[in-house]
Amino acid sequence: MTTVDWSQLPPPQPLPDADSAGFWQATANGELRLCRCTNCGHWHHPPLEHCRRCAAPTAFEPVTGTGTIYTFIVQRQPAVVGYFDQVPYAVAIVELDQQPGLRLTGRVVDVDIDEVRIGMRVAARIEPLRGGEFQVPVFAPVAVV
Amino acid sequence: MDLSASAIVGIGRTAYTRKSGRTGISLAAEAIRAALDDAGLSPSDVDGMTCFSTGDPASPLRVSHAIGLDEIGWNVNTYAGGNQVALVMANAASAIITGQAEVVVVYRVLDSNVRYGKVTGAVEVGGFEQFAAPQGYMVPPQWFAMWAQRHQHVYGSTCEDLGAIAINNRAHAVANEHAIARDPLTLETYLEGRWIVEPFRVFDLAYEVDGAVALVLTSADRAKDLRHPPVYPIGAAEGTGAGGMPDLWSDQTSMYSRIVAPRLWARTGLSAADMDIACMYDCFTYTVMATFEDFGFCDKGEVGDYFREGRATYGGDVVVNPHGGLLSEGYLHGLNHHYEAVHQLRREAGVRQVDDAELALVTAGAGPYGGAIVYGRERPS
Ligand SMILES: [Zn+2]
Repeated sequence: MTTVDWSQLPPPQPLPDADSAGFWQATANGELRLCRCTNCGHWHHPPLEHCRRCAAPTAFEPVTGTGTIYTFIVQRQPAVVGYFDQVPYAVAIVELDQQPGLRLTGRVVDVDIDEVRIGMRVAARIEPLRGGEFQVPVFAPVAVV
Repeated sequence: MDLSASAIVGIGRTAYTRKSGRTGISLAAEAIRAALDDAGLSPSDVDGMTCFSTGDPASPLRVSHAIGLDEIGWNVNTYAGGNQVALVMANAASAIITGQAEVVVVYRVLDSNVRYGKVTGAVEVGGFEQFAAPQGYMVPPQWFAMWAQRHQHVYGSTCEDLGAIAINNRAHAVANEHAIARDPLTLETYLEGRWIVEPFRVFDLAYEVDGAVALVLTSADRAKDLRHPPVYPIGAAEGTGAGGMPDLWSDQTSMYSRIVAPRLWARTGLSAADMDIACMYDCFTYTVMATFEDFGFCDKGEVGDYFREGRATYGGDVVVNPHGGLLSEGYLHGLNHHYEAVHQLRREAGVRQVDDAELALVTAGAGPYGGAIVYGRERPS
């Protein structure tokens, strides 16, 4: 039996489905696009084939990716494969500016983790995900003007 | 439907250990045999069996076979975590009341192959988790630490408040020989506990163990002739929001209990003030905080003081988790809360007995999903 060094394994890789394919295609192109109703304009995340409000078809549209931290955590103990040697790191639930309740969860980067706060203004940035071809949105603070 | 037309007539369990070296099937069979023996019944009396699991192998089919049954009638394996324990119990009661089964065994088993706090192998993740799991955000302590942080922001609750919950549970576990964690816990020790995921320290997380719990239900009529005083389910309620996606729940300072509590109290005509015992699902300390508020034991932001003032222990308003809960007795996915409620309502808890215990609330779940059930010593007239 060979010894596996768990710390060298890659992070969990996404398994796109028919509804989420547009999200991952966009991030692969360095862009953040979210699912939006073509009729009533409601944004959906996670994506759906048809709007949960009016049942019209949806499409992926670009978003600025700016928003406000609703809440966050600081991961101190290794818990998820691919991140055992990355602790401590911060993950935030970000409420995007497009619509109340439209939330995206991702790591908070470019800031001392002790400085992360609820209410902090952040913007999404697309970064490669180790271990495969995918790219993911992470969040960095933006200066408040 | 009057759930109290059914009754719990037997309880059984294995030892709770860190690593048993035994299979789930063997652990479950031991707990079920003990529960049937407690009821004065035998495996051949059983015609219904149900559990909840996240796909582990000790299914009602395999387990019923292991205790000697050549066939089983009503059997349901609910795909769920602790969020649906109350639902599983209510379903078992309903199966009896509607004549689908006469004697139903409910069990939950966890062996060392099932652990929820850590993901160590290479994985591909679909569903809602496909979006954030790749960023190192994939296990329940992370999801619910988010909620605790929000509560601290909105209501000014503190880590010391979470600590008061952990300390209360542990104080109860000290007297419970069945509990896995029995060293007394002080606030100093709590605060020295290592961070897992801020704002959760190690003492804020359930203590994962190997073990099994089983309860036996039958009709209220048949229960009268069995060995122990029956314990009756008085009423139950369920509720899940945000499609069960924790990050999308609109206000993380409240949980599923915001939906379930009014439903449960309306159905039973009871309230928090009527409860002698509250077995609050405590996968994390914060789960107790949010649900305790939602069920109406105190106002938002007051849980810390409530616990520090001794109102959640013997001699106070309600005894919360007299067994020590998932935090200190052990993480049997919440079915051990139901065992404890029955144990207390039968008034067999010895030094841990809650005086004159008549009614117990048992909650199940955290975040967007869960339910609750009230058990009573007397059948409502
Ligand atoms: Zn629409």
